[in-house]
Amino acid sequence: MIHMFRAVLYTQWKWSRLIVVLGTIAAFAIPLLSVQGAARADRGALQAQDLLRSVQSWGSLYPLLATALGLFMAMAAWAPDHRGRHIHALTLPLERWRYVLLRFTAGFVLLAAPIAAILIGSSLAVLTATLPPGLQAYPIALGVRFAFAVFVAYAVFFAVSAGTARTAGIILAVIAALILVQVFASMANLDLDLFGAAQTALLLGPGPLAVFAGRWMLVDV
Amino acid sequence: MSRLLGVLLTVSVLASPLQCQDSLMARLRRQADSLLSAWRDAQRLAALADSLEQVRATAGSDTIAVGGLRIIANPSPLPLRDAAERAWPVIDSLYGSAAEDLPRYPYIFRAVDPDSSVRRTVLHVGVEVPWDLDVRATTSLLLTTVTPPSFDAALADWLGSALRPTLRPQDEGAAVFIQLVTAPSEAVRRCFLGDIARCKDVLQIGDSTGWLARWYVTPAEREALVTGSFTDYFARGATAPTLQNCRQHRDDACTALLQLLPPGSLPRPLGQAARLVLVREALRAGGRDAYRRLVASPNAAIDARLSSAAGTDFDSLVARWRNAVLAARPRPLTLPWWAGFAAIGWTAFFGFCALRSSRWRL
Repeated sequence: MIHMFRAVLYTQWKWSRLIVVLGTIAAFAIPLLSVQGAARADRGALQAQDLLRSVQSWGSLYPLLATALGLFMAMAAWAPDHRGRHIHALTLPLERWRYVLLRFTAGFVLLAAPIAAILIGSSLAVLTATLPPGLQAYPIALGVRFAFAVFVAYAVFFAVSAGTARTAGIILAVIAALILVQVFASMANLDLDLFGAAQTALLLGPGPLAVFAGRWMLVDV
Repeated sequence: MSRLLGVLLTVSVLASPLQCQDSLMARLRRQADSLLSAWRDAQRLAALADSLEQVRATAGSDTIAVGGLRIIANPSPLPLRDAAERAWPVIDSLYGSAAEDLPRYPYIFRAVDPDSSVRRTVLHVGVEVPWDLDVRATTSLLLTTVTPPSFDAALADWLGSALRPTLRPQDEGAAVFIQLVTAPSEAVRRCFLGDIARCKDVLQIGDSTGWLARWYVTPAEREALVTGSFTDYFARGATAPTLQNCRQHRDDACTALLQLLPPGSLPRPLGQAARLVLVREALRAGGRDAYRRLVASPNAAIDARLSSAAGTDFDSLVARWRNAVLAARPRPLTLPWWAGFAAIGWTAFFGFCALRSSRWRL
C-alpha cells in the first residue's frame, strides 16, 4: 500500500508541482510583505494604525490563497483521470474508495508545503518587525487557520471534482432553485431570507466555510 | 445779581447733559425691562405649551412604575414592565442614590403600529416606538433614553455625550484599549505605557492651555493631523501657502495652522468612550452616592468632581481607569476551540462524499 501511495504521490506531484511551488512562494511572501514598514522607527505613534491597516489589507489574501490552492490541487488531482476517462484507474487492481483515498491523502501531503511556508514566513515576519506596544503577533494561529482553510477548500473541491457531471448539475440546480425561490419571495413581499440563512449556515458557527470568515490578522491588538 | 444769574445759568447748562444722560439710561433700562418681561412671557407661554402638549401626549396613557422609573405610555403589547424590571437595576447601579430623582424625568412613549401607514397626530413630547419591540430591544431603549439626573452642561461638554448606562461595559473598555494602542498620538502611547500625567492630558483633564503640544507631541503627528484631517479646510485662501510648507515637513507651518483652528475643534486623541469609562470607574469606586457628588458642584473642575465622586485622589483614579482599560483588552482573533474540530469534521465529510462518489458505481 505504501508503494502505491508513493506512486500516486509522485504522479500527483508531477501534475501539480507548479501549483505547489507557486503557492508555497506566495504563502511565504504574503506575511513578510504584510508587515513591511513595521520596523521604521521614525513613524512613532503613527505606525500602529498604518501597520494594522496594512496587515488587514494583506490578510484578505490568505483565504483567497487557501481557496485557490484547494481548487487547483483538487482539479490537478483529477484532471488526468477525467481526460483518460478513468480507464487507467479502472485497470488498477484496487477498489475505487482506496484509489480516491490515496489521491485525497497525496493532496494533503503536497499541501503541507504551503502551510509550512505560511508558518515560516509569519514567524520570520514577526521576528524581523518591530511591533508598536500593545500589538501582538499571532503567527501560529494564522498558520493553523490557514491549514484548516486549505484542507476544507481542498476537500470541497476534491469532492466536487470526484463526482460526475450529473452531481455537479444537481448542485448547480439546487443553487439556482434557491436563487429563484428568493427572487419570487422578494417579488411576493414574503419575509423569506434564504441568502441570509445560507450565509449563516455556511459561514457562522460550525459551518463548513466558517474557518474562512472574519479577519485574518498576523498582527492585532 | 448778574453774578447770581451767571451761576444759575452755568448750573442749568451743565445739568442739562446729565439730564439727557439720565433719560438715555432710563430709556435703555426700560427697554431692557421690557425685553426681560417679554422673555418671561415667552417662557411662561412655552411652559404652558409644553404642559398642554404633555397633557395631550399622555392623555389616555398608563403609568408604569418600576423602582425610580416612571413610564407613561398608551396601552400596547410593548413589554415595558418587563423591560423596566431589567433596566432598573442597571440604571440604579450607575446613578446610585441619585436614581431616586428619576421620577422627575418620566419616559413618555407612544407605541405605534409599525406596519400602519395611517397618518398620526404629531406630538412634540415623548418618543414614538413600534409596539413589536421585544424585551431586549425595549430594555435597550430605556437604557439609552434615560435622562441622567441633574446632568450639567460642563460635564456634558467634557464627556461629549450624556452619561447613560451600558449593557456591554466590556465592549466600551475594549474600544478604549484599541484607541490607546492605535491612536496617532505619542501622548496616548505614553499613557498606554503607564505615564499617568500623559493619561490626564489625553483625557483632557487639568490646565486647558496648550492641548496641541500635549496631545500631538511630535512634528510627524502634527503634520499627519493637518494633512489627514484639515487639508480641505486650509487649502484655500491665506492658509494655502502655509499648508504647502506644512506638507514639506515644516513643523512651524503645521503648528501655526493647527493653532488657527477654532476653539474646541482640535481632534481629541481619545474618543468619548475613554472619558465615559473614566466616569464609570469613578462612580464604581465611589459607591452609591458617587453620582450625587459628581453633579453636586457643576462649576468645579472636572478632576475635582471626579475625585470627589470616586472618593480618592485623581491620579489613583486615572491609574484605576488605565488598569480597567488594559484588563478589557479585546480577545485576539484566534479560532475558537471548536473551529478546528469543525474544519476537520467538514474535511472528513467532503472526503467521504468523494469516496462515495457515483463515478465507477456499477
